[in-house]
Amino acid sequence: MIHPSIVASHATTTAEHVVVAENVTKEYRDGGLVVHALNGINLTLDRGEFTAIVGPSGSGKTTFLNLVSGLDSVTGGDIWLAEKRLSRMTSAELSDFRRDHVGFVFQSYNLIPVLTVAENVEYVMLLQGVPAEERAGRVERMLDRLGMHGYAGRFPNQLSGGQQQRVAIARAIVAEPDLILADEPTANLDSTTAGELIDLLRELNEENGITCIFSTHDSRIMERARRLVMLQDGCVDRDEIL
Amino acid sequence: MKLWFQLALRNVWRQKRRTFLTLITMFGGFGVASISIAWSDGTFEKAIDVYTRNFSGHIQIHSPGYLDTPSLYAAVDGGESLLASVQSHPQVIAATPRVKAAGLVAVGDVSAGGRFWGVDITRESSMTRLPDKIISGQSFSGPAANEVLVANGLALALDADPGDTLVVVSQGIDGSLANDAYLVVGIFESGEALVDQTTVIFPIDALRELLVLGDRVHEIALIVDDVAAVPAVARDLQQRLGDAVDVATWQVFAQTFNRAMELNRRGTWVSLLIIFAVVAVGVLNTVLMTVLERTREYGVLRALGTSPLQIVRLVLFEVTIMAVIGVTIGCVLGFAINSVIAWVGIPLPAPISHGGVEFSRLNSVVRAQSFWIPAVCVFASALVVSIFPARRAARTAPALAMRAR
Repeated sequence: MIHPSIVASHATTTAEHVVVAENVTKEYRDGGLVVHALNGINLTLDRGEFTAIVGPSGSGKTTFLNLVSGLDSVTGGDIWLAEKRLSRMTSAELSDFRRDHVGFVFQSYNLIPVLTVAENVEYVMLLQGVPAEERAGRVERMLDRLGMHGYAGRFPNQLSGGQQQRVAIARAIVAEPDLILADEPTANLDSTTAGELIDLLRELNEENGITCIFSTHDSRIMERARRLVMLQDGCVDRDEIL
Repeated sequence: MKLWFQLALRNVWRQKRRTFLTLITMFGGFGVASISIAWSDGTFEKAIDVYTRNFSGHIQIHSPGYLDTPSLYAAVDGGESLLASVQSHPQVIAATPRVKAAGLVAVGDVSAGGRFWGVDITRESSMTRLPDKIISGQSFSGPAANEVLVANGLALALDADPGDTLVVVSQGIDGSLANDAYLVVGIFESGEALVDQTTVIFPIDALRELLVLGDRVHEIALIVDDVAAVPAVARDLQQRLGDAVDVATWQVFAQTFNRAMELNRRGTWVSLLIIFAVVAVGVLNTVLMTVLERTREYGVLRALGTSPLQIVRLVLFEVTIMAVIGVTIGCVLGFAINSVIAWVGIPLPAPISHGGVEFSRLNSVVRAQSFWIPAVCVFASALVVSIFPARRAARTAPALAMRAR
């Protein structure tokens, strides 16, 4: 079934629309060569959606996630996230915006190696200025929820890949963002652990109602999504509710 | 703030070898600078001490304008009471009155122009070591004896020896012709060419009597307990004694010597500049390498919402932590080495003799500036050169975090 937001007007944003991408293009220049990574993408993600972005390598998945999360800027078009127009923000404003509205789960986990598990989870809340007592409580509850309670004092290099990714999920979700963004979160994991982690993300999505968008190549993982957006050559090729 | 400190501290210990090399650069630079400053302070103080104790003293008091236009008539009344006021200053350790004039001297048929100094030999001994400068003969038999000490250059010109009679012709302050004959009791050598070519030293009362000066003096020379305190003591004395006299420091009345010292000091500053340039390059190298290695990590921090300013702060915190450790180690080592050099000294290849004083080793002086100047320089050079890599780290594209390792 074609998702209704595809045919809806993209010019308006509402509290229900967490992400609105309107005619988004992105070009990279490499010397004299211009690479068109995205070619006019229109897409709306509603609050609480659990969406997989799929497509072959070079289709523009990571570029799209970078733009949606404010990690990179568009060449043309506009992106609204939580009713804020990202293309009008400065680098410093985008930093603050990511801190307060976006949670990241990276393919390579990207935990801060010199911080313990608990400190990694606490990091974004520290940047947000959440009081110490509240931080401690939220870290404890989150580690409990993700089955990482006994690992709070360990450093990332003392954890397995799956454990590190759980910590990354905890870090992404504990600060209560509007959007969780996961770029190939299971690419470095075995299939069992990958399945468990996507299930966990989905459970958290259902429990907390946080919008979740992730990219993947793995067909078994994409089956767990509730909405599937397929990109091809920088365009939305398919968008369907599963 | 605690988070940044914790992050910075752990990052510092992450690359132990590199941190160790940076610390060596920092405390090595600090130590060399500290020792260099203490050594140069020690050398300068020794040079100043030798120079000022030869004749001039640290501070001189004259009638206003005397230094610009020395004159027999520019004498200060009440020499003894002025001397007593000067000696009552707690930092003055010795003071001596002097009378100065000029005239003709002759031994037999040979005559020459001469400068006459009337000195209190007892007070002079405690200040300028005058008796040590006598190279033949002896000192005066009494404060008013008709005896003189002749500088070796002048003695050579006059063919004078101890036991000869020196005829002196000058003018008294009352306009009368002043002349008398004096017994040459000794020949002295000061090490200063002008003094050694022209000077005849009299007991102060003998010269006062010749020149009809009463208790007036032309100069009170004094030394203080700390060379570094000379300007402050001079200001204090000027305030105490009022406008009737001019109080001048050695930097004023020994300008040529002062300029030579200043030139030497500039040489020390150039050395320090080179030392801290080396420290700065070492730190820049390390911090830049660290930033380049951790580009992806900075990208992750930026992606998570860490602001560029917070990244700059993190890098500068790391450098500051290393600087604190480097300076602390440098302080301990610098203090130990400076203390040893201050106590034992470094022997000179050949002893140096000047104005009757021979010194065979040079010692450092341990002062606060031997530590705070290198500390400020280490911190400043390390932080200044770290701004470039810190800015580079802060500008890391957050999208780098999304790239697979």
